Amino acid sequence: MGADLGLRETPGRQAGRRRPGRPQLIRIATITVLLLFVLFGFPQLLSLYYIDTMTQVAVYSMVTLALGVLVGRVGLVSLGQIAVLAIGAWVAARLLFATTQPYPVVLLEAGLITMAAGVVIGLPALRLRGLYLALITLMFAGAITVVLATLNFPNGGHGFTGYNGSLVHIPPIRRPAIAGGDPAYFRYAVIVAILMFALVLAHTKTKPGRAWAAIRQSEPAALAAGINTTLYKLWAFALASFITGVAGGVLAGAVHYLYSIGFPTQDSITLLAVTLMGGVYSLWGAVVAALLYQFLPALLNNWGVSADWLIILFGLGVLQVLTTAPAGLADQVPRDLARLGRRLRRSAS
Amino acid sequence: MPPWSDFEPFIVSGLALGGVYALSGVGLVVLYRATGVLYLAFGAVGAMGALTAWSLGQAGAPGWLTWLVCIAVAAAITLAYGVLFGPALAKRDPLVKAVATIGLTLILYGLMDLLWTTSGGEARSLTLPSDNGGFSVGQIQVNWTQVIALAAGVVLTVGTGLFLRYTKLGTAMRAMANDREITATLGVPVRRVEAAAWLGCGVLAGIAGVLLADLVALDATTLTFLVISSLAAVLIARLRSITITFVAAIVIGLLHDLLTPITSLTNYRDMTPFVLAAAALLVMPRSQVMAQSREEA
Repeated sequence: MGADLGLRETPGRQAGRRRPGRPQLIRIATITVLLLFVLFGFPQLLSLYYIDTMTQVAVYSMVTLALGVLVGRVGLVSLGQIAVLAIGAWVAARLLFATTQPYPVVLLEAGLITMAAGVVIGLPALRLRGLYLALITLMFAGAITVVLATLNFPNGGHGFTGYNGSLVHIPPIRRPAIAGGDPAYFRYAVIVAILMFALVLAHTKTKPGRAWAAIRQSEPAALAAGINTTLYKLWAFALASFITGVAGGVLAGAVHYLYSIGFPTQDSITLLAVTLMGGVYSLWGAVVAALLYQFLPALLNNWGVSADWLIILFGLGVLQVLTTAPAGLADQVPRDLARLGRRLRRSAS
Repeated sequence: MPPWSDFEPFIVSGLALGGVYALSGVGLVVLYRATGVLYLAFGAVGAMGALTAWSLGQAGAPGWLTWLVCIAVAAAITLAYGVLFGPALAKRDPLVKAVATIGLTLILYGLMDLLWTTSGGEARSLTLPSDNGGFSVGQIQVNWTQVIALAAGVVLTVGTGLFLRYTKLGTAMRAMANDREITATLGVPVRRVEAAAWLGCGVLAGIAGVLLADLVALDATTLTFLVISSLAAVLIARLRSITITFVAAIVIGLLHDLLTPITSLTNYRDMTPFVLAAAALLVMPRSQVMAQSREEA
């Protein structure tokens, strides 16, 4: 009965084992090699266009990761995650113009301030469940769009807003000293993303993760088992806001210039669509979702195909995921491939 | 604070807007009560209908035909979605059903952007003949479209209330709102009743599409997301009472437009639905919300 998407989780790999077994070691090794390839191979192999695209993928993988935690782990649906990203980007941009603090400190501050904002919004909404939370976050996204349109993103002006409409030479938002160029900034973004994934992993493998699982199954039952449901729901909300805020900070440096039209309400909806399509029950899902959200449009743009087709595809994808493939592409594709492999082997023998 | 006379024209436009929000809200509540689906694509199907009507108008079709087509398109898409995906998702959580309608919203949104691309800078408009006539109350000019919008809100709210209370189909819908399984056991053709609810909701979406395209703007994004205002009204009514939905919708429409002349707030007037809905949720006692969530699940 929970606010869970009403789905079974894929049977978990044996968790909690002390000494990693052989398959697990192989897994860790594969992931390490993959990450090293992404960090050092991509900047060599890809053109500048795709390096920029992959930086965006790294940024949005954090956003989809945060949304995945809310939807998949706790069973809360947020339709306003792009608005939270905009808050993070705004705060980071303001701090980067106003201070000379090192970039990681700014990222941390952007995350924490966004987290505070998320908690303030989440607190009233978390008394409610499911549908109400989704609706209020959708309205929140609309409201933030309105505020941003009036407030504008900081462009090096003075005052609280840091916006000066009459500025002719707008200075770019600065990047960290060690990552000024695009390939270097790509690596920087990937490393920040890895840290965020590790942060989520640390949560899901420990007490909060178990509490979230209980809440997702049934909130009254979790309450009866002595879990402080409000605390843990708020915790999830705070964690998701923190990660999204950090992502906003990385985004600010990646694009150099931020505009309020870059964070429309409909993007929050599209984001939920790709997160569901990628799969909310595994961390890989977040990466798949970010690829769908940022890489595919860049690819289609390169081929001269309208991005509208993609929006239609995402719409179909949501319907498909909800009716037949609850665990998303990250789960479905390997399973389908395995099934195909078995069938091929059978027909060969 | 500007003088009162500055506010006067906005009372009329606010009431008209509130009327359309009310009829949208009533459509949403009835569908939710009958099928458990909160139809987030309500605005998108209305926009689809309105844009189709515009294209027909450009091709030289008479006005009345285009409005009917708008309503027919919205109703057809809604009914098709309901018949295709309603049964597949019938036993799922209300949240899943609502998120599924986001899928439909995205499909329609992409299609509209593809077929009636906005990048050309082409300004479209859908005008009703009732825009030209009107009367004045004191200093305030009122045109017939505004009267029609408010009247449609009132008539449809009252009409739906009576329909649910006194007709056989309405009784069946109320029964399904309580328990789908038991209603089916009692011999009510559940699927047919649901289809009727989908059709009715689609017709209302089409009517709202025509009126909003005239009163606000004929633009896919605007029309798709105007549903947020109706959703706020529905949320304040806790997805339940059509009377509260009506009152909340009128208040949202009125407040939104009355903020226009106030210079310091005019840019923020689009936040009205969010602020009102958030305030309503804050005063809503937790026990009630929890009890209702349990009932919904």
